[in-house]
Amino acid sequence: MDPLTRNWLWLLALIGATVALAGWPAALLAVAFLKAVAILNGFLHLTRASGWLTAFAVPLGLWLAAIWALHAVG
Amino acid sequence: MKYQTQRIALAYIYVALALFAVQVTMGLVLGYIYVDPNFLSEILPFNIGRMLHTNALIVWLLTGFFGAAYFLIPEEAEHEIHSPLLAYVQLAILVAGTAGAVITYLFNLFEGNFLLGKQGREFLEQPTWVKVGIVVAALIFLYNVTMTILKGRKTVISTILLVGLWGLALLFLFAFYNPPNLALDKQYWWNVVHLWVEGVWELIMASILGFLMLKLTGVDREVVEKWLYVIVATALFSGILGTGHHYYWIGMPAYWQWVGSLFSSFEIVPFFGMMAFAFVMVWKGRRDHPNKAALLWSLGCAVLAFFGAGVWGFLHTLHGVNYYTHGTQITAAHGHLAFFGAYVCVNLALFTYAMPVLKGRDPYNQVLIMGSFWLMAGGMLFMTFVLTFAGTLQTHLQRVLGEGYMDVQDQLALFYWMRFGSGFAVVLGAFLFIGATLIPGRREVIEPGPVVRHAAE
Amino acid sequence: MRIDDLPGELLMWVLIGSEVAVFAAGITVMEAVRLTDPAGFATAQGMLDGRMATLNTALLVTSGLFAARAERDGGRAGLLLAALGGVAFLAVKIAEYTADAARGVTMEAHPFFTFYYLLTGFHAAHVIAGVVVLVLVAIRPRRDTAQAAAMFWHMVDLVWVLLLAPVYLLG
Repeated sequence: MDPLTRNWLWLLALIGATVALAGWPAALLAVAFLKAVAILNGFLHLTRASGWLTAFAVPLGLWLAAIWALHAVG
Repeated sequence: MKYQTQRIALAYIYVALALFAVQVTMGLVLGYIYVDPNFLSEILPFNIGRMLHTNALIVWLLTGFFGAAYFLIPEEAEHEIHSPLLAYVQLAILVAGTAGAVITYLFNLFEGNFLLGKQGREFLEQPTWVKVGIVVAALIFLYNVTMTILKGRKTVISTILLVGLWGLALLFLFAFYNPPNLALDKQYWWNVVHLWVEGVWELIMASILGFLMLKLTGVDREVVEKWLYVIVATALFSGILGTGHHYYWIGMPAYWQWVGSLFSSFEIVPFFGMMAFAFVMVWKGRRDHPNKAALLWSLGCAVLAFFGAGVWGFLHTLHGVNYYTHGTQITAAHGHLAFFGAYVCVNLALFTYAMPVLKGRDPYNQVLIMGSFWLMAGGMLFMTFVLTFAGTLQTHLQRVLGEGYMDVQDQLALFYWMRFGSGFAVVLGAFLFIGATLIPGRREVIEPGPVVRHAAE
Repeated sequence: MRIDDLPGELLMWVLIGSEVAVFAAGITVMEAVRLTDPAGFATAQGMLDGRMATLNTALLVTSGLFAARAERDGGRAGLLLAALGGVAFLAVKIAEYTADAARGVTMEAHPFFTFYYLLTGFHAAHVIAGVVVLVLVAIRPRRDTAQAAAMFWHMVDLVWVLLLAPVYLLG
């Protein structure tokens, strides 16, 4: 299958997961992370640039964890 | 000097240095008025002195930018300036307009007259006829350099400089709109003032700094261009909506507090970029340029701009902080180090580089010019610290404890004395710079020491 | 890991990084302000319609697929279909804002709504800009311009998936 189409289907599946996981903050943020990585990888082609996916994904992951922490203490 | 028309820059540099002298002298007088408030109160009221201090600054920086453009555009475009005559006409208009604005303000001539009288807006006090003159001068300038670039080589440095200068001229048009509604008046006023110093001026600064780094370090042009792209993109990204940090308390909708806080927080990024750029270029550069004084001013510019504009700006840009510090000496501290670090230093760096080239000599008086850097930078940093402490105290006494403005001012006297002292060092440094730049001494090329040689290998 | 490894125009990557940083900062501030009034924020967030936002996510990623294909094949149709997806997104957004306003969800009604309108409104402004860029590029598609437009469009996509959970769903 065309990798772009496969990425799109994966994103649609993640949207489905978002709907299914409503009310569960940690899981919702984890799904958001997966969606972001899918866009960076599949659409913005960061897989082709060695090291750059990590450079984007690690700060994003840490930030989403911080959002989860802020949410959990409130 | 490769191109004859680069000589135009010389006239601009002379005018800029003369106004620089006026500006810092007025600053010293104002610093003294802070500790002895009746000093010259009949002859030179504070508001007039302050207007001269700030307007002379703006005008000499602009003159310096124009001079920088006339100096570096021919080299970048590899083409003589389109019309030298127009360049001198432009300078004459600017000088006449400046003199007109000062005289009108000093004697308050034609009070209330739309065309001839002053307009009581800080920095935009010029009578309308002077504003028209500024626009005409700017149009002449833009026509002249745009024609030059169109006929010659197009580089990223000259393009960014040109975009910055076009933006500068276009944004000035907001100065013609003076709505009676005070909130709107302030909004449009900031559209000139903020979008100049935190928008297009940063483009001008980045391109001048890029040019100096290219010449002084010999790094590849492509590397310089890549850095400039990043710096310019982040400057515009943060700076345009960063205008919101001036809309907090002037009667604009409350959401500007978040827009302003958020975007202006990122204004530190381009300044950090410029500092990193300057040091990486020197680190990577293979060329051992004899003009060490110009290199010192360039590096000093990048560092002091980062602290003055970036760090000291961030200090009070969040609206939760600014609610307390607005208009205190914290603002004065930020204003002084930001203008000095970013725009004074970049001009002086370019003058230091350009003057020996324009006079066809080896770099001269380098030790004196470097000494002037340390005097000015040291004085300015001390002034910034002193005003920051004064501002912190003022914020607490006045805004937290609610004491009266003048009662608080009395308690800040010690800080104002120290500020006067540090201002004296700055003025001394300024006159040292002007003297050492205008009166070439003996040939003075600083040989790199053994350690430096080793490190370059 | 070198700058030159990044696919596409460097300036676009500076823009993507800046946009993500600004939106992330905005969301962080919203979550921080939320600590001052968790109950009020939860009530306010409960007034939003998460279904429309989820529908919009599907619209955006589908539109992103067309943009990605146009980027690869240099086709005009892909760019216009991507732009159409953006228009559909905006139509849903307008319907959503209208329904919000009818329910009393206004900028000044609660601090949460200030953030809601600022964040989603600023994002919607990027959607408008993206549609304009896609259409302009579609007039005379070139490989580099199509790529830049597609990168902008993926950035709009990326920001939206990061906005969705904190603004609409965390509760």
